[in-house]
Amino acid sequence: MINTKEMREGIKDGFPIFLGYFTTALAFGLLTRTSCFTFVEGVFTSMITFAGSGQFLMMNLYNAGSLFLSIVVSVFFINSRYIFMASSLSQRLADPKSIPGRLMCGFGTVDEVFTVASFKGRKLSYSYMAGLIFTSYVGWVSGTAIGYAGGTFLPDVVQKAAVITVYAMFASLLGSEARRGGKALLVAAISALLNSLLILVAGLSTGLSFLISMIVATVAGAFIYTDKEVCLE
Amino acid sequence: MNKILLIVSCAAVTLLPRIIPFFASSALAKLPRFLRKCMMLLPVAALGALIFPLALTDFSGQWYAGLAGVAVAFVSSYLKGPMILSIIIALISTTLMLLV
Repeated sequence: MINTKEMREGIKDGFPIFLGYFTTALAFGLLTRTSCFTFVEGVFTSMITFAGSGQFLMMNLYNAGSLFLSIVVSVFFINSRYIFMASSLSQRLADPKSIPGRLMCGFGTVDEVFTVASFKGRKLSYSYMAGLIFTSYVGWVSGTAIGYAGGTFLPDVVQKAAVITVYAMFASLLGSEARRGGKALLVAAISALLNSLLILVAGLSTGLSFLISMIVATVAGAFIYTDKEVCLE
Repeated sequence: MNKILLIVSCAAVTLLPRIIPFFASSALAKLPRFLRKCMMLLPVAALGALIFPLALTDFSGQWYAGLAGVAVAFVSSYLKGPMILSIIIALISTTLMLLV
């Protein structure tokens, strides 16, 4: 049932995510400690949520003294992009029937897992997804624990530079995709420009801005690409 | 405020939007052709907004350090370099730019 070769490939593909998550989670772990969370509460947050921006948002609003309901609603809105990502990813599963498999994929659909898996260019097995998600998850949870216990022990400049890891991963996926044709660059440029304008000029929140930019660029993309290019049978 | 209740509630509003669509996948597969096409194009549309402007603004005044990292990673992968290599040279470039 478990295909070791597929799982190993998932672990390998998950390694860059591990690096990015571990270093980001160090900062999150430290933030939970300075916010008067206990070690168990901090690590528990990462264990059951497994989301970067949503967890940081929760802590920031908690520290700002926001109301319970307003925190939960804000976290929902910043996470609403996952509805679209999970819908898209669900169409790429090799076996869409398995209930534990779907629960696992749903739990693991974070931005980085979604993009890496989507650009795999073939149907996704649960063994592959398990390797990919597990590796990322270990990075996130262990980073939170170590960040709480030891702070961000990395030298200041390294900790700061490490922020680039996940962006470099996204840029790398875009680079590979661009080799197949300029249309990918065009669609990505639309969402990048729109997101930059909405955040920097219009002053929208990053969650709402991301959602609008992603949807507008997707619809534009549907006009730019032919049906054959997206392998729509 | 009850912290455990807060953590569990925030986890719920994070996980439900991720899990529910996987259980609606057969209904999603029956959507009109145009919407199914959109679902396939979502990853590439997401990439642009996942990178910009946050890869720059995360470095605030030193935005060029973020830009350098993203640019070298893009070029390296465009030239068929493996992802891990792209990430390593991005880390080095960004670190150097932060130091100058």
